[in-house]
Amino acid sequence: MNLKRRLSLTRAGIIESLQFRLSMLIIFVGNLLYLIVIYFLWKAIYASSGQEVVNGMTFSDTLIYLVLASAIFNFIEMYTVWEMGRAIQSGNMVLNLLKPMEYRKYLFWSFSGTFVTQFFFTFLPTFIIVAIVTNGAIQFGFNLLYFVISIVMAIVINYNIDFFVGTICLYTESIWGINIMKQVLVLLLSGATVPIAFFPETFKKIVYCLPFQSIYNAPLSLLLGKDMPVSEAMTTLGIQLLWCVVMMILSRLFWKSSLKQITVNGG
Amino acid sequence: MSTVIEIKNVSKEFKVLNRREGLKGSIKDLFSRDYKIVKAVDDISMTIDQGEIVGYLGPNGAGKSTTIKMMTGVLEPSSGEIIVNGRVPYKNRTLNAAEIGVVFGQRSQLWWALPLIESFKLLKDIYGISDADYKNMMDFYQSQVDIEPILHKPVRQMSLGQRTLSDILAAFLHNPRIVFLDEPTIGLDVSMKSKIRTLIHALNKEKNTTVILTTHDMGDVDALCRRIVIIDKGKMLYDNDMEHLKNFFGSYRTLKVRVKGDLKAEAEVIGKELSEFQVTADDEWISILVDEDKRKVIDVLGQLQQARQIRDMQLEEISTEDVIKKIYEEGVQ
Repeated sequence: MNLKRRLSLTRAGIIESLQFRLSMLIIFVGNLLYLIVIYFLWKAIYASSGQEVVNGMTFSDTLIYLVLASAIFNFIEMYTVWEMGRAIQSGNMVLNLLKPMEYRKYLFWSFSGTFVTQFFFTFLPTFIIVAIVTNGAIQFGFNLLYFVISIVMAIVINYNIDFFVGTICLYTESIWGINIMKQVLVLLLSGATVPIAFFPETFKKIVYCLPFQSIYNAPLSLLLGKDMPVSEAMTTLGIQLLWCVVMMILSRLFWKSSLKQITVNGG
Repeated sequence: MSTVIEIKNVSKEFKVLNRREGLKGSIKDLFSRDYKIVKAVDDISMTIDQGEIVGYLGPNGAGKSTTIKMMTGVLEPSSGEIIVNGRVPYKNRTLNAAEIGVVFGQRSQLWWALPLIESFKLLKDIYGISDADYKNMMDFYQSQVDIEPILHKPVRQMSLGQRTLSDILAAFLHNPRIVFLDEPTIGLDVSMKSKIRTLIHALNKEKNTTVILTTHDMGDVDALCRRIVIIDKGKMLYDNDMEHLKNFFGSYRTLKVRVKGDLKAEAEVIGKELSEFQVTADDEWISILVDEDKRKVIDVLGQLQQARQIRDMQLEEISTEDVIKKIYEEGVQ
């Protein structure tokens, strides 16, 4: 019954996102423009360096990585912070709290429908195009399985980070700044805007100790890594699992204690 | 009858930052620790039985919504005890939520972009309503209001009236034991209001649902509530039957007269003549609220007639609205 409840939310989310045909088209076009920008940007970077291989990545490696990163972004980003902030400001949070379901789960499953539609409408087409155009740059083997497991965990980590940040809105009652800051930080530290291979050594070490690289860098390196040894893949997945658990506990605890604050002081 | 809500000596205090004026003040406020305590609800007690419709009244800012939020478990009382369906709501919010329904006027719990029927299906799964119960309820809805035309319409395309109606239907869908309606008829036209009143009445009769209704519309109260609770500035002023309230003010009659000349000016003159009573005027009538314990209506009429010609007159029982207004202004002694 619990599962039925969740899948029902997924189903409604799919129907809901299909209602907005135009917005899907705009996302598609926006994404295309972004890809054109990064193509020329990185072309310029490689040209000015005068080398074929920079930081162990060729131009096409980098481009494949960034194209897929942006496809993943469109697919797993669910604007949780935005949604929570709006509910807090408008006072609609009260109604959400009065659902017979924990809010953190309720919100996640409400968004899950968007994953499904975005997966089929943005990620999958991009992936297929990249696979065909690059002709062999993406291997078809166990790495696909690793990638699927990894991306599910990436979604969970990303959601819980978002939820944690969204909870901060309870205190600040403003959304915009926090949302932008979170977006920039997460995208940078996760390796979505610039591949982590390009980071300076010390910075790279720090980034590997943070949860963010598990969102973009981990699934992409599992997907694109050529002949990655099983042990390395397992380590990556293990680290992701660890962050899944840690972020779930953290966001849950923070939410619980914040909620206590609201019920005492009013919202 | 079994008790569903029990409230004992409940108070709720909020800590509010003392805001200062102007730009300089606003900057100072950033670092201020100057809080004041505001008592939103002050020592309220009541017991509500299964199947009652209780009108919960009070002027704006009286603490009505705060009380409701405490009953639903969104707020924790500062002191006192609340038991709803045998549970302490704020400790069992999620569990409690399954057995209550809420409508906060002007806010919607429905899925904005989805047709109403999809929202209902979703609620069916979220609340774990069985197929039989769901069908039962939908059939009942169908027999009460014509829901077919709105069922397949996305909520965002609905009129305010249709949306409120939908929200009320959604709140009753899982057949909760208690439904809280916070100003459900706000901003609706007369026919929609009466439709919604009939619906609430029928649901209460058929399913024996307890309804707690806050409203500023005395029409709602007259049509639905047998019992009313009035609070103001967080304090409980009144908790009893409507009948009792009317008896209490039974000695009051409203005498309406129409005289020659400008009514507003005449009303002022009459007001001076009958200084012990409240005299008001609108475009058609001069109304005098007469307390028959002090003077008989016929007496007052006689006095009025001596000075001027009365063209028309009416005698009215005091309306609920007037009673409530008197309580807000003077309290119950």
